[in-house]
Amino acid sequence: MADCLIRLRDVDVSYYINAEGVNSIKQYLLNFGRNKLFVKKRILTGLNLEINKGETVGFLGRNGSGKSTLLRLISGVIPPENGELEVKGTIAPMIALGVGLEPDMTGYENIKLTCSLMGYSKKETKLYLNGIKEFSELSDDSLKMQVKRYSSGMKSRLAFSITTAKQPEILIVDEALAVGDVAFVEKCKNRIHNFKAQGTTILFVSHSLEQVKSICERAVLLDSGKLVMDGTVDEVGKVYNKLLVS
Amino acid sequence: MKDVLEKNFNVILSVAVKTVKLRYKNSILGVAWSMINPLIYLMIFVLIFSQASMGIENYPLYLLTGLIFWNFFASTTVQVMGSIINNAGILQSMNIPIVVFPVSILLASLINLLLSLVPFFVLMLFLDFSPGLHNLEAIPLLVLFACFTFGFSLALSTLNVFFRDVGMLWESLIPALFYLTPIAWTFNIIPERFHWILKMNPLAFFINGFRTTIYQNEAVSIENWGIILLITGLSVFVGMFTFNKFQRSIFSHL
Repeated sequence: MADCLIRLRDVDVSYYINAEGVNSIKQYLLNFGRNKLFVKKRILTGLNLEINKGETVGFLGRNGSGKSTLLRLISGVIPPENGELEVKGTIAPMIALGVGLEPDMTGYENIKLTCSLMGYSKKETKLYLNGIKEFSELSDDSLKMQVKRYSSGMKSRLAFSITTAKQPEILIVDEALAVGDVAFVEKCKNRIHNFKAQGTTILFVSHSLEQVKSICERAVLLDSGKLVMDGTVDEVGKVYNKLLVS
Repeated sequence: MKDVLEKNFNVILSVAVKTVKLRYKNSILGVAWSMINPLIYLMIFVLIFSQASMGIENYPLYLLTGLIFWNFFASTTVQVMGSIINNAGILQSMNIPIVVFPVSILLASLINLLLSLVPFFVLMLFLDFSPGLHNLEAIPLLVLFACFTFGFSLALSTLNVFFRDVGMLWESLIPALFYLTPIAWTFNIIPERFHWILKMNPLAFFINGFRTTIYQNEAVSIENWGIILLITGLSVFVGMFTFNKFQRSIFSHL
């Protein structure tokens, strides 16, 4: 059997959502005993999934089907409610469109900050700095500017460059290629392909079936929190297309 | 918890340094603001209360020794309280333990306090302060005070994730707490039979402790050390308990 990096067994994930959407203690006190404070909402139900080392898996599904939640579960951000979750290896976080960037700090400062958040030492950060600069194609002047002055394309360039500076064992790409110009998206895809060639396991989320096809061999289809289908990209893609139309 | 802190020491440090840098980044006076706030209070109270004699010798110095530490408590609780919700983006995309953020903000506040102690010391000398050996007792007292503040704010920051009302409530309680704590006044002006009420306020013990060591240059009594230790332990326990109990459901409210 191949090296199994990620294993999910009967995993459930639930969110607790404020009842009636009222974010206040007052309402609760007024209704004391008559309603619950939080309502449990299942996001993912009974998930079974095994991903081996070196596989590239695309995650397909409509908005709200639980794709991002599944990836957060795998990256360890969300704990499973029931079931077993096993993940081996280092995971690069995919900061969606520069969420983790600090707007008041310069590009350089953000590189340092994000690198230390990712657990790199100062030495490592220094090592990667040039690579990040080069890959992002941001000029010295831009990097000395506060990130709040960046365009969304520049932010995603910076974010992608930082998070992929070091080759991880597991790479999660969550709609990260949605912004940025064509040339940069190509460059990102190349980097992903390189990682793939060197044995990185890639988990890829996108609404564009074309992109998924160009990167992944295997695909997983999610619908309302359940794993509907797991197979080759072509097979799953067909079902996905049908699902979108229905 | 100790494990988590050790493992993420670098992360904590860099978030703390970032916070200190960012706090005054877009202001002209910068770090000076951590001094100006207590100074403004100092001027107001000296102007108003110096006439109403409370029998306090060197009232400005008395006031300042209380204000510095009150200011630390008030600003730290508010900042730590928001530390989890303000970092929702990072917490959702990176596998970083939640507790890293409250700890970093506490550390940032401590750095800030230590930086402002230097000019405050100079100011105190102007106010006829004569340093003495018992001043050193303020160091362990400050460590305990930081732990006390942290425990309490950790509970606040956790509950604030579920109900933003906690934040609003706390921010409006702070001014009331200021007047309930002997910062601008002293226990002596209150009749003895009400003292038990005043002693319900844990902050009073810390502020009085700082007064004893710094303003009076005397040793804090064993009895007061005991009470302070007890309060600190209780606060840390409540903070950790609240955090551990709700930690798992925090992510669904970010």
